[in-house]
Amino acid sequence: MYKLLLCVRYLQTRYLAFICIVSVMLGVATLIVVNAVMSGFSTKLKDRLHGVLSDVIVDTDRSDGFEINDTLGKALTPDEVVARIMASPAGPKIAAVTPTIEVFAILQFNFRGQAMTKPVRLIGIDPEGRAAVGGFAEYLVRQHGHARPSFELTPEALKQHELNRQRRERADALQVPNVPDPKPLVPDPAALPEPDDAVMKRDMPVTKLNGAVIGYTIAHFRWRNEQGEVVEEAALKPGDDVTLFTAGGSQIDGGRIRPVFGNFLVTDYLKTEMSEYDQSFVYVPLDVLQRLRTMEGRCTAFQIKLKNYEADKKDVVDALRGIFDPRTGARVATWEEHQGSLLAAIDVERGILNLLLFMIVGVAGFSILAIFTMIVSEKYRDIGILKSLGASNHGVMSIFVCYGLLLGTVGCGLGTALGLTITDNINEIEMFLTRVTGKAVFPRAVYYFKDIPTNVDMVNVAVVNIGAVAVATLFSLLPAWRAARLHPVRALRFE
Amino acid sequence: MLTAENLCKAYRRHAVRVPVLNGLDLEVKTGEFLSIVGASGSGKSTLLHLLGTLDAPDSGRILLDGRRIDNLPSRDRDALRNRVFGYIFQFYHLLPELTTLDNVLMPAYIGHSVVGWWKSRSKWRARAVELLTKVGLGHRMHHRPGQLSGGEMQRAAVARALLTSPRVLLADEPTGNLDAATGDEIVRLLRDLNREDGVTIVMVTHNLDIVTATDRVVRMVGGVVTADTGAKKPAPFHAPLLAAV
Repeated sequence: MYKLLLCVRYLQTRYLAFICIVSVMLGVATLIVVNAVMSGFSTKLKDRLHGVLSDVIVDTDRSDGFEINDTLGKALTPDEVVARIMASPAGPKIAAVTPTIEVFAILQFNFRGQAMTKPVRLIGIDPEGRAAVGGFAEYLVRQHGHARPSFELTPEALKQHELNRQRRERADALQVPNVPDPKPLVPDPAALPEPDDAVMKRDMPVTKLNGAVIGYTIAHFRWRNEQGEVVEEAALKPGDDVTLFTAGGSQIDGGRIRPVFGNFLVTDYLKTEMSEYDQSFVYVPLDVLQRLRTMEGRCTAFQIKLKNYEADKKDVVDALRGIFDPRTGARVATWEEHQGSLLAAIDVERGILNLLLFMIVGVAGFSILAIFTMIVSEKYRDIGILKSLGASNHGVMSIFVCYGLLLGTVGCGLGTALGLTITDNINEIEMFLTRVTGKAVFPRAVYYFKDIPTNVDMVNVAVVNIGAVAVATLFSLLPAWRAARLHPVRALRFE
Repeated sequence: MLTAENLCKAYRRHAVRVPVLNGLDLEVKTGEFLSIVGASGSGKSTLLHLLGTLDAPDSGRILLDGRRIDNLPSRDRDALRNRVFGYIFQFYHLLPELTTLDNVLMPAYIGHSVVGWWKSRSKWRARAVELLTKVGLGHRMHHRPGQLSGGEMQRAAVARALLTSPRVLLADEPTGNLDAATGDEIVRLLRDLNREDGVTIVMVTHNLDIVTATDRVVRMVGGVVTADTGAKKPAPFHAPLLAAV
């Protein structure tokens, strides 16, 4: 009984104890806030990583895409493959499937009269099918969240396209040299044969304006001005022309791969807030890309959305492996397996950060050790008195261990409250700090997040609390042991 | 009742052995009010600590009712200090964080678990209040030691020592820090306790004025008993011895 009474009384009367409480509190609060922010970033990153990837991806590195034949040896079209997937045991667990073509490409466009090139990942999709699989329409800037997004051009984009065309023509006209050519440039029409109408019509290119969705970072340049502010400028506006160069997918030409290119008009931006995607993804219509690469009726990947990802992922992957023979270069993987190394890196990073931050609690532990040693020295006489009244060594030790436990618990309680309050109001605090210091603590232009993301994991909070209480108790053991070993007569004589 | 046989005790001070008790023999009888006198360093306090099992002798034995107690396991010695012996110190030794009442209740707190205390708390509280009233501190129960005078603190210490109704009260210079009048008050209190409640008291002091109130006086020099007035005798018997002391 006396142990409890004395620890509570010591807690109430020793101001030194408050230093211990404050140090534990700060340690715990820091751990909770950092973990919440870290976990917020990591959850958001995972969401983003998952974002443009469907739940399960089947893909191949074959330039001309999958080759799946029916029993008669006839190659199946993507739609027939989809039907076969839906008829397999995995079918009932699948919410949506869409074929895509993914290939590396070079994107070229004009910016202030200069030709710019960027390496990109060119993806041919059926926009509606892709939107059904998820992770597409929600990241479009203009057609944000649209149930049936398309590559159609808006009137404004068409107007921009027309303006560009006129500007180009004017520029070309200016480059016509003034010096007249002594020889006539055009042969005498009379000397030419009559044009064959059929030939003329056949070779006339049909002007079709193909839309392309461009990653936001590809289309925007960012730099810092003299004031140090981040300035963003759209290098590609809707309606601007881009040219995409890639490798043809056909192997009909004696197995040789040849370069192909096509012109597209920017119709929308993809803004996933994941720089890796925003700076490399370019979506174009699947049929256009099939034609461009001369691989009509084929595709290089299937994006699959499951009804219940966590429950069915293994079954679906196993069933799909039965359809797509890995010996033909087909790969079946969940999005997590696709991003395995990155996800593992996030976990490792978080683990190391936690370990490092726990050192803060370690520091709090040492302050408890120091302060407890002082308190024990201060309490020498009390220890002697207690022993003269029949308190055991074990009992005296318990007082101080209990005291450490109590300090740890109170510190943890306050620290948790403080940590959760800070986490809850982190954006307000950040804005306040930015206002006071005049310098952005969280420059939103540098990161892609509008707000500092947080995610409080209660298991983590519990682990931090248990750890901190354990550290506080552990570090009080040595002073407590010293107190217990104190000889009562010497303690009573202590002045 | 309480017997010390051939007690030897030495302290080490920087590798130098300082002998304090050198084969001391003493017997304390039940219901006796014994005072031990002697110069500083004669080993009085050490003897008191050994008798109360607060310290262990280097050699020799201490017996309580014929049973050896100096070599008991520490748990049993803790229990003896809690229930059989009551200590009173020169510097009162109250715990500054607690109220007078809590200080007096401390032996009961120590002797009980939380549940045990909860069950018997009203009994102990009543006992503490009764003792505090008896020592004249009924109105000071909720004051902290810092708010009490020296005499009041010592009376609170006496009440604390009596809480568990110990058989032996060990008082180490209980008046050493008090003025003469207050000291007399404390000795009168002890004498009354001895006469009315039959508590055996062993009191160490070098104040010769107060030993007249005791039944028996023992003089210590150099760690041994050099004079003993023996059994209970009227005051005149002390006169020659006291003159010698």
